[in-house]
Amino acid sequence: MSRYLKLVNFELNRFFKIYLGLIAFTAISQIIGVINRSSQYMNQANEAIYERGMALDEFIQQYGPMSFQKVSQSLFFQGPIGICIAMLLIYMFFIWYRDWFGKNTFIYRLLMLPTERINIYMAKATTILLLVFGLISVQILLLPLESTVLQWMVPEELRMDMSVNEIIGADVFGLLSILYPVTVIEFFISYAIGIMAVFVAFTCVLLERSFRWKGIGIGLVYALGSIVIFFLPMLIEEMFFPYFLYPMELLLLMLLTGLIVTALAIWIGHYLLKNKIRV
Amino acid sequence: MNVTFNKRDPVYVQVIRYFKEQIATGNFEPGQEIPSRRELANKMKINPNTAQRAYKEMEEQGLIYTERNLPSRITRDEQVLQSVRDELILEAVGSFVTSVKSINVPLEEVLDLVKKNYQVDGDK
Amino acid sequence: MIELKNVIKKFGRKEVLKGVSFTAEKGEITCLIGINGVGKTTIMNAIMALTPINGGSILIDGEKIHKGSYEKITFIPDAMTMPPNMRINDAFQFMADFYDCWNQERANEMLSFFKLQKEDRISNLSKGNTAKVNLILGLALDVDYVLMDEPFSGIDIFSREQIAEVFTSHLIEDRGVIITTHEINDIEHLIDKAVLLDDGIILKEFNTEEMREEEGKSVIDVLREVYRG
Repeated sequence: MSRYLKLVNFELNRFFKIYLGLIAFTAISQIIGVINRSSQYMNQANEAIYERGMALDEFIQQYGPMSFQKVSQSLFFQGPIGICIAMLLIYMFFIWYRDWFGKNTFIYRLLMLPTERINIYMAKATTILLLVFGLISVQILLLPLESTVLQWMVPEELRMDMSVNEIIGADVFGLLSILYPVTVIEFFISYAIGIMAVFVAFTCVLLERSFRWKGIGIGLVYALGSIVIFFLPMLIEEMFFPYFLYPMELLLLMLLTGLIVTALAIWIGHYLLKNKIRV
Repeated sequence: MNVTFNKRDPVYVQVIRYFKEQIATGNFEPGQEIPSRRELANKMKINPNTAQRAYKEMEEQGLIYTERNLPSRITRDEQVLQSVRDELILEAVGSFVTSVKSINVPLEEVLDLVKKNYQVDGDK
Repeated sequence: MIELKNVIKKFGRKEVLKGVSFTAEKGEITCLIGINGVGKTTIMNAIMALTPINGGSILIDGEKIHKGSYEKITFIPDAMTMPPNMRINDAFQFMADFYDCWNQERANEMLSFFKLQKEDRISNLSKGNTAKVNLILGLALDVDYVLMDEPFSGIDIFSREQIAEVFTSHLIEDRGVIITTHEINDIEHLIDKAVLLDDGIILKEFNTEEMREEEGKSVIDVLREVYRG
């Protein structure tokens, strides 16, 4: 196995316990959300139908049928997704800083491995991406499971069952629609931008780790520069030639600038690790 | 082999001196096998290169000898053994004389005291 | 041979190494002695490319350090280099995974010499035992050169004795070793060469046995002369 893959494996293991914790927390919280919303709904229904003698149709007309949308809008459901996103955003930085700080300075070991140092960078990036894609896969697997729980709790005549696609589509203002863009192309665009952002963030961290206080300034300038380069086709079009390009042409141009920004981030990261990094 | 080294004399010289003392007192017998340089360094807590140097010098002086790949041994050469003994005695007497002279004691008095003390010490 | 030529290192505007040159041979123990300042550790980090230098050059057997060099030279810093939640065994496994030159037999041998348990968690080790595990992680690599930062500092007397014993054993033999210290007393007889460092410059570089032979001076004597002027 190449040292890069061993590093990926190692980095994944280091976060695995917390990761499992996050997954368990998400699953439990969301299932509690299902149970909570379903029983709330059933209480409402029971009260209306059996105590106030409302007809079933009338109840459904007034309160609407029970659907997964009622669950996915709840804090029980959205909260853990938000926490997972926040944790991964934090870990994107912490995956580096943990090696420098604390009583044990693992960075000595990492930098003294008989392998190109860029492998450390790529392994950490791969780890973050695997963690992200892992979580969105788990979430998509959780949805049908949670729908089943809902179906156990609410009788068919009160339900409006939704497919996974419908659940995501209905969550217009929620986090699900951010995690799962509807079209394939949108999916690729947003995750490609995400990957680019990870590399840029990593290179910012390395700038700080190489030049410390001065590095923070350089990092900010670098990050800003990367954003400008990425949006350059859009900016130029807006400012000088409005409506000059077809959307597809703009997309291709931004694919190009995106690749430039990513390549630049990796190249600078490589240079810093090789020549400028400090323990 | 608990040797306390002083810090100003070359360590290899001190090692050789230790060997001579052991030979003169009979702790090291003629033909006795001696430790390898690494063992010696480890036991005496000295640098292995220094141990190596000491062995090289001792070999040149004929204090020890090595046959083929076997461990080194203390010499069986009577002449060398005798001269080691003589050297140590002369050295001890020399330093004794120097210190006695420095306090201006006449020779007869010194010899008397030496005899008395030597016997008392020997009786113990 | 490890060769430093006119190495300059700045932290901001402060020059911590002001043109440092010295060599360390294979088969010898070279000791960097400095009473104060950060120079010694910085030199070690610079040799290992763990911090950039602002001038001069560092060569290991005639070449600049590269990824393959880490199978040839290693550094034992004054801090644990493995994550705290690892057990000693995991740390060994990590080393075996990443280094072709890892020698498991030697690691086990040292482990029993130091009377440590494979199952011990790194975070639970005492300071002395941490230093010993660090030493194993470095010396169980079949490398030609070993750098050690203050291997004797801040640990109990018995651990020091054990570590001193390692220095005179086959674990060190034939390798080139550079150690740093601010306290030479215990180890005068262990080293071949002393390099005196003060305020970013090399004040003197000498073979300790030659110094005793030719001038009748101990390392401390020389230190006293040099530092007191």
